[in-house]
Amino acid sequence: MSVATAPVRDSPLARRNPTVKLAVLFVASVALLFVLDPVTPSIVYLVGLIGVTVGGRLPLRAVLTAQLPFLAFALGVFSINVLSRPGTVLWQEGPLRVTVEGLVVGAALAARTLAIGILSIGYVLTTDSLALMTSLHQNARLGARPSYALMAGYRLLQQLPGEWAAIRAAQAVRAPLRRDGTVRRGAASFGRAAFALLVLAIRRGERMAQSLESRGLGLQPRTVWHPVRIGPIDAVFGVAVVTGLGILIAAAGLSGLLSGPGALF
Amino acid sequence: MATTTTPPRSRRSTSWLFAWQLKDIMLLVVLGAVFGFLYWALVQGWIALSVATGPFGDLTQHALLGGWLLVAPIAIAIIRRPFAGVIAEIIASVIEVVFLGSAVGPLLFVAAAIQGIGSELPFALTRYRRYNWLVYALSGALGAGLVFFYSAFRSGWYGTDLLLVRLVIQVVSGIVLGGLLAKVIVDALARTGVVDNFAIGRARLDR
Repeated sequence: MSVATAPVRDSPLARRNPTVKLAVLFVASVALLFVLDPVTPSIVYLVGLIGVTVGGRLPLRAVLTAQLPFLAFALGVFSINVLSRPGTVLWQEGPLRVTVEGLVVGAALAARTLAIGILSIGYVLTTDSLALMTSLHQNARLGARPSYALMAGYRLLQQLPGEWAAIRAAQAVRAPLRRDGTVRRGAASFGRAAFALLVLAIRRGERMAQSLESRGLGLQPRTVWHPVRIGPIDAVFGVAVVTGLGILIAAAGLSGLLSGPGALF
Repeated sequence: MATTTTPPRSRRSTSWLFAWQLKDIMLLVVLGAVFGFLYWALVQGWIALSVATGPFGDLTQHALLGGWLLVAPIAIAIIRRPFAGVIAEIIASVIEVVFLGSAVGPLLFVAAAIQGIGSELPFALTRYRRYNWLVYALSGALGAGLVFFYSAFRSGWYGTDLLLVRLVIQVVSGIVLGGLLAKVIVDALARTGVVDNFAIGRARLDR
């Protein structure tokens, strides 16, 4: 949550068009989906780490902390493949078994998770969410109603932690107490609070829709506050990143390092 | 029941497919935001748990997969329009990735679209008219079943020992958490009255 609400500091990466950045991020992620050797995604990760910290003027510490969930995810994917993929046995102890194939594929998937992770972090940390909505509306031709609904949803999302705390506090007041005076809480109370949050949000969403409509959303022609444009540098940025990735994968293929989805079977 | 509702439906049939009201769009966004937030809160605890249980954490994680499918059947049952489920899933994934920084990255958009298609198919086959336990259960099973082949490719489960076990766990989880639980939530929402102004409320009046 803190990631989404922190103000974006000015940097070359932050000045790029949000839609172009999102498209580049998506293309790169899909391309990496078909790479299944450990070396190529590792190189992408290193290049990405340098590009994101330098291009986004981000402190290295903040980038690495933001990577923790991706790291946990990568570890899970790695251990699964190491322990459950059949192949040349490297080490065996009871039901546990480590294979060469498992190590290679596991490392490849973990490296891919981290590579996609560093690019996603670079995107989230350098993109203002409202600028993204404006840009999707203007540059990606997303209709005015979905764009503004998403913007209102973004605002709602920022309020949700506060509402959640309020609901939990209100329920705690009425909850049965333990002998030492602390509140007894279980999974059921979590479910009740979640349902209350859902009802509250639906009610607020309907009110927001009415107020947006009563202020003339959907009328033509529209003007936009703080317009976002695609400039020549954005085009250069998009083409450069995608060709850079293409050259890297091609080089890996020529040098024999690259392996595709066939490695799985 | 179907015969009595035919006249009003055919009257607006020309624009029925695309006549989204703002409050319908807003509901999809709101559902995406709330479930995005709840998933985010759950995932925080989940990462700790899966690290604690080591490699078996991954298998237990499958048991909760169905929870990821909830948005689509809830949105379809309330709005009762074609593509409501797919759009709701995609909006939820956009909120998770762009606003909350999900650890899957933008590939979640693809998974969400596949899940949405799977969850929506059974409802679409009844032409958005039947909302009984069976349709919900099928929706959960298909949502989990379709996305399985994609996540098996993404996470490298093909060629590992437990592929079938994973499929079974995920489909069962999809039926229970992504199908039947959705009906429980929708019915409870209908009882509170917050969704009376949507298609689900009109359907109750028609009855």
